[in-house]
Amino acid sequence: MTDPFVETRNLTKTFYEESRGEVRAVDSVDLTCRSGEILGLLGANGAGKTTTLRMLSTVLRPTSGEAWVMGHEVRKDPERVRENLGFYSASTALYPKITARETLRFFAQVNRFPRERIEARIEELIDRFGIGDFANSRVEKLSSGMKQKVSIARTVAHDPPVLIFDEPTVALDVLNAIELRQIIGRLRDEGKAILFSTHIMSEAEQLCDRIAIIHQGRILAVGTLDELRKSTGHHYLEEIFVHFARVRDPSEAEVESLRRDRP
Amino acid sequence: MDLRQIWTLYRHEIRSALRERSILLTSIILPVVMYPTLLWVGFTGFYFLEGQAEAMSTRIGVTSVPEVHEPLVDSLAANPRIEILEWTDDERAAAAEIVRGRMEALLEPMPPRDAGEALDGNRTIRILYTEVREGSRSARARIEDVTNAHGADWITEIRRDLGVSDTVWADYAVVMSDQASAEDVTRFLLAMIVPLLTLIMVALAAFYPAIDATAGERERGTWETLMTVAAPRSTVATAKYLYVATFGAVGGLLNLAALALSIRWILSPMTNGVGEELSQGGVPLSAIPVILAGTALLGLFVAAGMLVFAVFARDFKEGQSMITPFYIVILMPALFLQSPNLEFTTGLAAVPIVNVALLLRGAILGDIPFLSGLVTLISMGMAVIAAVALAQFVMRREEVLLGSGQGGLWNFLTRTLRQGRNGS
Repeated sequence: MTDPFVETRNLTKTFYEESRGEVRAVDSVDLTCRSGEILGLLGANGAGKTTTLRMLSTVLRPTSGEAWVMGHEVRKDPERVRENLGFYSASTALYPKITARETLRFFAQVNRFPRERIEARIEELIDRFGIGDFANSRVEKLSSGMKQKVSIARTVAHDPPVLIFDEPTVALDVLNAIELRQIIGRLRDEGKAILFSTHIMSEAEQLCDRIAIIHQGRILAVGTLDELRKSTGHHYLEEIFVHFARVRDPSEAEVESLRRDRP
Repeated sequence: MDLRQIWTLYRHEIRSALRERSILLTSIILPVVMYPTLLWVGFTGFYFLEGQAEAMSTRIGVTSVPEVHEPLVDSLAANPRIEILEWTDDERAAAAEIVRGRMEALLEPMPPRDAGEALDGNRTIRILYTEVREGSRSARARIEDVTNAHGADWITEIRRDLGVSDTVWADYAVVMSDQASAEDVTRFLLAMIVPLLTLIMVALAAFYPAIDATAGERERGTWETLMTVAAPRSTVATAKYLYVATFGAVGGLLNLAALALSIRWILSPMTNGVGEELSQGGVPLSAIPVILAGTALLGLFVAAGMLVFAVFARDFKEGQSMITPFYIVILMPALFLQSPNLEFTTGLAAVPIVNVALLLRGAILGDIPFLSGLVTLISMGMAVIAAVALAQFVMRREEVLLGSGQGGLWNFLTRTLRQGRNGS
């Protein structure tokens, strides 16, 4: 098996909040993601998905543990890490005053795509994502569907081997969400290693090759859907998720039930 | 540091900013059109009001004028815009009429003093008017002109009657001899206003770009996008800094260029050549490199300072309120410059902003002490480096990057110091 494109070991992030004190947002996370694979990060809101992905994209600095992207450690070589990944989320917007073409050129240049191939790459992206009709329009004039296409194109503008999609479908309507999932599937087929975070079970079921269930900052289980089904005895991902979440964080009723069952 | 990446990011910032209407307006258009507009509007308004005042009919009351001074009343009456009223009532009633605007002024010879009786008509002439009415002020000016001319004629006549020749009479006179040439006066005036205006315009031109480069990114949702590009944080911060400094310096220089051109092309024709004198004799050529360097230094310092304050803002509104105190503080030194006696000492050359303002003043007056100039360069250089270092430090901090910290610069510094003390 090839080396993973993405790997984390004991990756941990703690924040200090005046009201709550030290908060461990991500706790000893171990993950791998290989070429041609979509690893889904499934968890409820506030589970630690975004913090994990932000550490991988070097937006946040891990408190402890290690993480590598294409062999580059996130703390030691953050620029190399970012050069090898594309980051897309609902909060990564586009610059409204520049055109779609200028957007692609800017992101290719700043992410150090070979200068002599930039124009050819832009044309390729325009063609591939169907941006041609509005390539020279300013982003502020585009519809949300058009912006989404430009946004994905800018994520892959420098042709990175690793892609991170952090809840990408959150603000999209059904059709745009389907289209986005199809694009992500095609990128996986091209050999990209893709980390895909979501709290939508059906999305993870449809798209992900392996799923990591994250709850309260910890990875509770990682495996293919079949592996998770076998290990829990549940068929649906929603049931599987609830199964692991309850083991980690049983409800008061369940705790009471366990006490009663005790001999 | 990768210069190519800085250039890419810098060009990107500039391109976006030039397409942003509010930035274009405050940083480029305002500095360029402000003086032409102000001068044109100001002079047009001034001439309009002056014309109106001249066309205004003035009612002047006259009471008990001695016969010898009747030519004075005749001279006033000869002006078709003056209406002479024979005033017979007392002074209090006249004052009431003037205050109400029914009469503009009263010309009233005072009772003769004892010694004055020796000469017929040797009387003080009092003009009652009110300063708070334009018509009354105008009437006073008209009467003053006529009475002065009449007084001079009357005295000349008496002098000749007494046989005092012109030579003897003119022997004692006070004559002013101003050693400053018109060019010197022009330079003095420019030296008073140029540093102040440069400071204001540099700060104004950097204001919106500083907010746009920081809070603007957050408001648009592009901050996280930018944080994931393959450029070091220091490169991103440097490009943003250069962008804000460019707008500050360019805004200041455009403003100065607009001032020079406005004086030449607007003030000069409207003032029968006075402006031409001003523009020709104003700034010596040797001052231009100093002005350019001083404006650039101001731009560099102001940009770093504004970025340090604005980077904590989550949106434009917050950015404005965070930068405004800094904007006001850097304009304070300009108040001291209104005193022409302030010397460009080595001590003052060590105070950032004040030193550049004094440097600009010295350059225009053609007098920059070498040591003060040198200290200014060192002091501003150090201030710029310190401000940039602080800006870089702040912009690399996680809570600032994510906008998760509470409050502005002050809160950030106290929090950082507290964490440093606790060792966390």
